[in-house]
Amino acid sequence: MSAVISPIETHAEGEQHTTRSFGWYGMVFFLASEAIFFANLIASYLYLRIRITGMGASWIPSGVELDKTLPFINTFVLLSSSFPMHFAARAIAKGDKRRLTIFLIMTVILGSLFLSGQAWEYTHANFNPSTGVFGSTFFTLTGFHGAHVTAGVIFLLICFFRSLRGDFSKDRHFAVTAVEMYWHFVDVVWVLLFTVLYLL
Amino acid sequence: MAIGSVATRGRVARRSWKQSAVGSWITTVDHKRIGIMYMYTAFVFFLFGGIEALLVRTQLATPNNKFLSPEAYDQVFTMHATTMIFLFVMPMWTGFGNYLVPLMIGARDMAFPRINQLGYWLFAFGGLLLTVSFLFGAAPNAGWFSYAPLTEATSACLQNPLATDQAATLQAATQAAQGLQGCFSPGLNMDFWIAGINLLGISSITGGINFIVTILRMRAPGLTINRMPLFSWMIMVMSFLLVFAMPSLTVASFLLLFDRHLGTHFYQAGAGGDPLLWQHLFWSFGHPEVYILILPAFGMISEILPVFSGKPIFGYTFVAWSGVAIGFLSFTVWAHHMFAVGLPPIAQAFFASSTTLIAIPTAVKIFNWVGTLYGGHIRFTASMLFALGFIVMFLIGGLNGVAVAVVPVDYQLTDTYFVVSHIHYVLFGGAVMGLFAGMFYWFPKFSGRMLDETLGKIQFWLFIIGLNLAFFPMHIMGLLGMPRRQYTYAPNLGWDQLNLISTIGAFILGVGVIVFIVNGIKTLGFMRADAPGDPWDAFTLEWATTSPPPAENFATIPVERSRRTLWDIKHPEDPEWRREH
Repeated sequence: MSAVISPIETHAEGEQHTTRSFGWYGMVFFLASEAIFFANLIASYLYLRIRITGMGASWIPSGVELDKTLPFINTFVLLSSSFPMHFAARAIAKGDKRRLTIFLIMTVILGSLFLSGQAWEYTHANFNPSTGVFGSTFFTLTGFHGAHVTAGVIFLLICFFRSLRGDFSKDRHFAVTAVEMYWHFVDVVWVLLFTVLYLL
Repeated sequence: MAIGSVATRGRVARRSWKQSAVGSWITTVDHKRIGIMYMYTAFVFFLFGGIEALLVRTQLATPNNKFLSPEAYDQVFTMHATTMIFLFVMPMWTGFGNYLVPLMIGARDMAFPRINQLGYWLFAFGGLLLTVSFLFGAAPNAGWFSYAPLTEATSACLQNPLATDQAATLQAATQAAQGLQGCFSPGLNMDFWIAGINLLGISSITGGINFIVTILRMRAPGLTINRMPLFSWMIMVMSFLLVFAMPSLTVASFLLLFDRHLGTHFYQAGAGGDPLLWQHLFWSFGHPEVYILILPAFGMISEILPVFSGKPIFGYTFVAWSGVAIGFLSFTVWAHHMFAVGLPPIAQAFFASSTTLIAIPTAVKIFNWVGTLYGGHIRFTASMLFALGFIVMFLIGGLNGVAVAVVPVDYQLTDTYFVVSHIHYVLFGGAVMGLFAGMFYWFPKFSGRMLDETLGKIQFWLFIIGLNLAFFPMHIMGLLGMPRRQYTYAPNLGWDQLNLISTIGAFILGVGVIVFIVNGIKTLGFMRADAPGDPWDAFTLEWATTSPPPAENFATIPVERSRRTLWDIKHPEDPEWRREH
């Protein structure tokens, strides 16, 4: 876990010396910023939805059907992808490069499956971004999340190829730690989005 | 690589372009060089923004003036604010922070040097993108806060950027005039704004993360957070605000982009959206933003006043933690920009109260600064003059700000020149005065050369006279009902002389800036680089190394035992750490 990027590791008097690298702290604040980004999106969604239902209109325009079966399966797929991600990070922490490679590609497959499900949902929906504020928010919120999953899959693929090349070791694998943090974050965001977009 | 391959061919090794004068700057990841690039670039944008300000003031100097066309005027005043906020003050603070924070905390660089470099280039290209929009005749033109629905367009009415024929423009204009749903800004103007602002937003977030990790993790041994120089404290608070406030702007501008190009309806009232959503999102970024603009100036003043008073800061803990309090409160006050839109009374009461509350930690700082001056052996250097000017001018800006926090007063004054006066007292009288205090103070550290004190004092008096002439009459114009952002005005409304005085003041400020440029050229071009490491008899660690510091900053990482490490080194008979406990 020691620093890939840290030029010097100093610690102040009286503070506990931690083994967290600078990169770990950087990721925490990056993800905090991302969390605020999604919080703003969800707040905008709720603001517009409460405003419209408060005026007596229905939130989902008439004639529009929001299918929930596929998103349920998709949620299951994305949440289960957190397990191989976790095991991948555990494997390299013990120096097991073979298991790292296997679990990384499993995560990539589950992530891609989620994205395929989302693509199917987009192409088969009977509404579009112009279908009222409902359509606007639906595609914007799921779209931003999908973009993050896509970035995560690319990030995972880079880690996968680097693991094939033998870049990672027990003491040197910050990229895997970072992608694990990012991937769990994207998962948690999906749980929130799924709740407000489909269940509420 | 290049050197190796050339050498093997048996010729004299050529230098790689990365070692050339220009290449070494383009590829640098050194925090001091990146800091200097930030400051130079921001200063160039300051000149752009200043010229835009003078164009605005020239247009408004006399009634019914036609110096600029109305279209050009809209672009110029929008770009004046956008440039000064996003391209001058924010990157200037990032530049100072980049240079000084690692030196102040005894580190050799920032935590993430390459992300630091990325942040600079994102800023440079974002700024370039915003500025080149003038060449397309399509600079952003909806005011710096770009209120929807004025910024809206639909794909049906967007101008094709490649079609230059008059017919298309005319058609779009006609559609807009006929009130086609949501078609107010059919040109490229807002698209330039969205693209530029988003690059700058990402740049700010990377910078914020970098500062936070640097300050939390890279302090020298013994430099606990409660011994850290106050400038570093305020940069840290600023960084938290950047990381947590910028995403609101990103969301707001992406939703606008989707409205304009993908057919969504977020801000289109006719289709169920709400233009007020823009205002909520924008100001939940925008109010933390104004503290992003002022907190580092607070930090600078808190460094400069003690040194030139020959005393430690009065109430260090209060100065530091009132900054944190301001940071937290800044997220709870955004709707005070929106009193006139018809918020529920309970919301108005809440936001009026929280806004008044934020005056308390700010006043705590002012009292602490005055307490620092009290009984000190004051040296009136140029830097100290700017710092003293800052306190008084910022106080005026703070007081007239609290005035418009009162809802009934705000009903009368919102969108008038009173508000313009307020923001210029806090941003020019505050941020810019603080910036020049810092510039005169730290310039020897940056360059190894002392700026000319006499020219500095001339600049100070030009600034003080100019800014009060330019911005004080705006109070009265606002009370007399002159709306902000209007192109021109009829004579004999009682605004004529006030506007002329304000324009004269603006040009005096312009002369002040020219004096500073002369000072800079004289110092950098004609003076010997012989500034001592500690020219001001200062207290903090950045003065413990040479001016300018070597690439590695400190040969050995210093160990700190108090808030005034350098004092301890210079006064071993009376070290500060002995007084602390």
